Amino acid sequence: MRRGSSAESLRARMTPVGVAALRAGVAGHVLVALALFAVLGPFVWIFTASFKHQIAIYAGQFPFTPTLSNFQDVLFGRRSDFAANILNSLTVAAASTLLVLAVGGLAAYSLHRFRWPAWVSAGFLGWTLVFHMVPVLTLIGPWYIAFRELGLYDTRTALIMTHVTINLPMTVWLMRAFFRDIPPEILEAAHVDGCGPFDAFYRVVLPLALPGLIAAGILAFVFSWNEFPIALSLTSRENATVPVAIARFAQQYETQHAQMAAASVISTIPAILLMFVGQRFIISGLTLGAVK
Amino acid sequence: MAGETVVRRSALTGVLNRTFRHWSLLPAVLLFAALTLYPLLNLVRMSVSTVEFAQGAEVWSFTPKRNFDMLRADDVLRPAVVNTFVFVAASVAVEMVLGLALAIAVAGVRGKRWLRTLLILPILVPPVAIGSMWKLMYNYDFGIFNQALVALGLQPVNWLGSTSLALLSVIVVDVWHWVPFVFLILFAAVEALPVDLLEAAHVDGASRWQALRLITIPLLLPAIVVAFLFRAILAFKVFDEVYLLTSGGPGTSTELVNLHLYKVFFEQNQLGYGALLSLAVIAAIVAFLLVSRNATSALRPR
Amino acid sequence: MGIRRTFTALAAVAAMLCAAAPALAQKAFADVGKQPPITVLLGSTPWYPAFEKVVGEYEQQTGNKVKLDVTPFAQILEKARNATRSGQSPYDLIMLDTQWTIEFYEGGFLVPLSDIDPAFVMPKEVLSFGDSGYWNAQKRWRTADGGKLMAYTVLGNVQLLYYRADLLKQAGIAPPKTWEEVLAACTKLANPPGMYGFVARGEKGNGIRYDWQSVMLAEGAMVVKDPAAGDYTVTINSPQGKNALDLYINLLKRCGPPNYGSLGQGDVIQLLSTGKAALGDVVTAAFASFEDPNKSAVVGKLETVPLPSGRGGAHGAVIGNWNAAIPKNTADAQRKAALAFSRWFVTYDAQRAFAQAGGIPNRSDVFTSDLAKEPKLRWMPAYLETQKFARQELGYAEGAQVEQILGLRLNQALIGEMSSGKALNTAAKEIEELFRKNGRRTGALPPLPE
Repeated sequence: MRRGSSAESLRARMTPVGVAALRAGVAGHVLVALALFAVLGPFVWIFTASFKHQIAIYAGQFPFTPTLSNFQDVLFGRRSDFAANILNSLTVAAASTLLVLAVGGLAAYSLHRFRWPAWVSAGFLGWTLVFHMVPVLTLIGPWYIAFRELGLYDTRTALIMTHVTINLPMTVWLMRAFFRDIPPEILEAAHVDGCGPFDAFYRVVLPLALPGLIAAGILAFVFSWNEFPIALSLTSRENATVPVAIARFAQQYETQHAQMAAASVISTIPAILLMFVGQRFIISGLTLGAVK
Repeated sequence: MAGETVVRRSALTGVLNRTFRHWSLLPAVLLFAALTLYPLLNLVRMSVSTVEFAQGAEVWSFTPKRNFDMLRADDVLRPAVVNTFVFVAASVAVEMVLGLALAIAVAGVRGKRWLRTLLILPILVPPVAIGSMWKLMYNYDFGIFNQALVALGLQPVNWLGSTSLALLSVIVVDVWHWVPFVFLILFAAVEALPVDLLEAAHVDGASRWQALRLITIPLLLPAIVVAFLFRAILAFKVFDEVYLLTSGGPGTSTELVNLHLYKVFFEQNQLGYGALLSLAVIAAIVAFLLVSRNATSALRPR
Repeated sequence: MGIRRTFTALAAVAAMLCAAAPALAQKAFADVGKQPPITVLLGSTPWYPAFEKVVGEYEQQTGNKVKLDVTPFAQILEKARNATRSGQSPYDLIMLDTQWTIEFYEGGFLVPLSDIDPAFVMPKEVLSFGDSGYWNAQKRWRTADGGKLMAYTVLGNVQLLYYRADLLKQAGIAPPKTWEEVLAACTKLANPPGMYGFVARGEKGNGIRYDWQSVMLAEGAMVVKDPAAGDYTVTINSPQGKNALDLYINLLKRCGPPNYGSLGQGDVIQLLSTGKAALGDVVTAAFASFEDPNKSAVVGKLETVPLPSGRGGAHGAVIGNWNAAIPKNTADAQRKAALAFSRWFVTYDAQRAFAQAGGIPNRSDVFTSDLAKEPKLRWMPAYLETQKFARQELGYAEGAQVEQILGLRLNQALIGEMSSGKALNTAAKEIEELFRKNGRRTGALPPLPE
């Protein structure tokens, strides 16, 4: 039984020859270092900005006198429900991710494994792709009306459902790409062993497609976490999510950069934590039933 | 005890297995149909209508010719389309190359788990924060880039205020924001590579570049296609970064189609024309994807 | 045992205090009676904390609850539209920026305040801000003359000329009264890159349109001839218009930072707060942040005067105000509650409290009270003076589209993509076409030399 992250398991599967084949050269290491610098640079900047007063940010001061007032303002200010907003975002993102992985993963596998007539598979895939191209702001009006009729306006349920819909195209297409990579011989072997199609899916295919599942899961989570226009229109103060809360700092005449930086810093922490926890959860859940 | 569990489980899984074909695709189709049919039909209907408001209610009138005339007469649309295609081509190309290179490189270094988490940080930040932060960094008088340039004795650069540089500055922000997306997908694909092939190649004496070109990349092709597909579609829909950084200016140098659509739909409240514009955007995306598919299949050696 | 007795004693004291509480609470500024809770839609603006404080007072005095749904500024319009266009509105009171009001008046989404309570009368001390709260459906124009009262101003913003008193004193320059004086002063004080002489918005869109129109009005130019009478002849490409545009471009080119073509309100405020600008055209609401040591390096150094006059001696300023209105798709009890709050809000005491908390009051008697003497409210005289000549602009249904046209062409002239004459001619042609398509009585002026 394999355990641990997919990264480790790849390495564990490799012989010393394989490791040598894949190891990055000097160019690779330099690229990674540059990428880290480019990615983390602005983050360090945001991080330092969250401890500055507005004037220090405006004037680009360095060094500067640090302050915790921005964090206080964001977390405990009179008009702030930031903690509640983070909780809303976590709930909606987690729920919609799990749901879209389940629904989308099943659909992708179904399209891959079974001989659906061309109009079904091409139709569904094409429809999801075209829907993905539609600008989100044209969807808001109809959805607002529909959810108000259903009495689901200003609920997290409505957000979860719309986020699943928005993320379904990418999840389906991504999982389909990873399912195609699995050699058909493995499926035949499972069939010979007496595995029904559902068992084969759950016990054989999913663990092999684990890297893809994790990638799709991370992306679905991130897109739900950062989703703004729908969250804005379908919720009011209590159910607002993190992006809506952060957008409030972009005020009419100027942006409150200090508080916005503090809010951004605070909001990345639960997202990262949940992703770490979620990864382990998915991996252990799948590898427990894995058969190789 | 174990026997009981096996018996109980096999009853449920038996049903699941037999009906798997039926219920595996159904949830996705049902959910998608329930939530997308109404908006899509509404969009198509709006694109040939004019929607006005009187006495608190909507008044629809069938005006396809008028909407098409507005499309033809729209002066801002032409530069917006040109800018959008330039933006999409440039940013997607750079992001794909960088994302692929990074995915392969990171697969070969230590500490992959940490690296993956760190390298995807940009997509964790809400777009509104990214737009505001980069606007500050590009600030002419106090932004960190100009401060660095001045410290080195060079002249500060008008990143967002010059018509020649503004689009490039927006592209840089987009690249920073989305390379992690491509990296994530391709890294997962690299993880799923069959090692035996790579080992065999190495043993056979193939150079690193040969192995890369002839084995790795062809095997990664499905994931590359998906990453490209979705990155291109998302690039056409870019909004937050441009809105916050330049609002389409200066002049029309960073006017992009989705931004223009937002202005038509929201600021000017032209719902009918806005819907038509959305359909036109979809058509443009489809055209772009078809063209790139033909272009890349011509490139592929056979 | 001792603990329990202490608790009982404490509980008794608490009960007594609670019973006495109504007597301790302030006497209500207006008697509005018991009302159901209302929900208000408003945006994240600099004056929100002040408004929240005043609402707190209302709740305390009357016991009626008010829920505030603070929305990011750029998305208020969207929420207001969603709320009013279908079913029952989740909001009982909505704040509309002046350029959005026409859409809601014409669409019939609001209920006139007098329809809710025929006895309701707006106190005469409440400033009218160009009658933006009235709607004459026949003329399709905002005017009290034959118009119904649909909304009232919660906060009116006009722009003032901010100047560094210390720098001007040092250079021996008096606060400028005309735009020519501004040009002279800024040229003298400009010392790039450490100090820019004058900053105003050059950003494409609403930014440059709004700021330039103050100069346009000062030079005696207009966008349309007489919309109140239904005459939508486009007059923007007049010689006065060209003078105004050339003046504005000159000011920014000579005295502004190199990125004048992309300056937004935030940039202008930033340059003034960090002490890099000597003169600036900024909203009144920014005054508070200039006086906050956490946000400004020039606390106490900035003073204000009304925006300068043009060649003909006329002053010009554009009004931007937040109008509170009540959606039509609300229940009767909710409407009455919203109106009750409004009645309380426009009283002298409530407005005074609003000003003290950091907001801009909407009553003239607050401006002329002793409050004007407070150092942090020293912008009040300039503000009140500006009310005499400030106007509403683009007060018609095509306003948003006209703004888009002007916002683009003006910006193109500023960054040198086309000459000022060509920019105005192009804009005039596009605006005329727009009016013609919408069935307005329109015409054009002979084109300017390009």
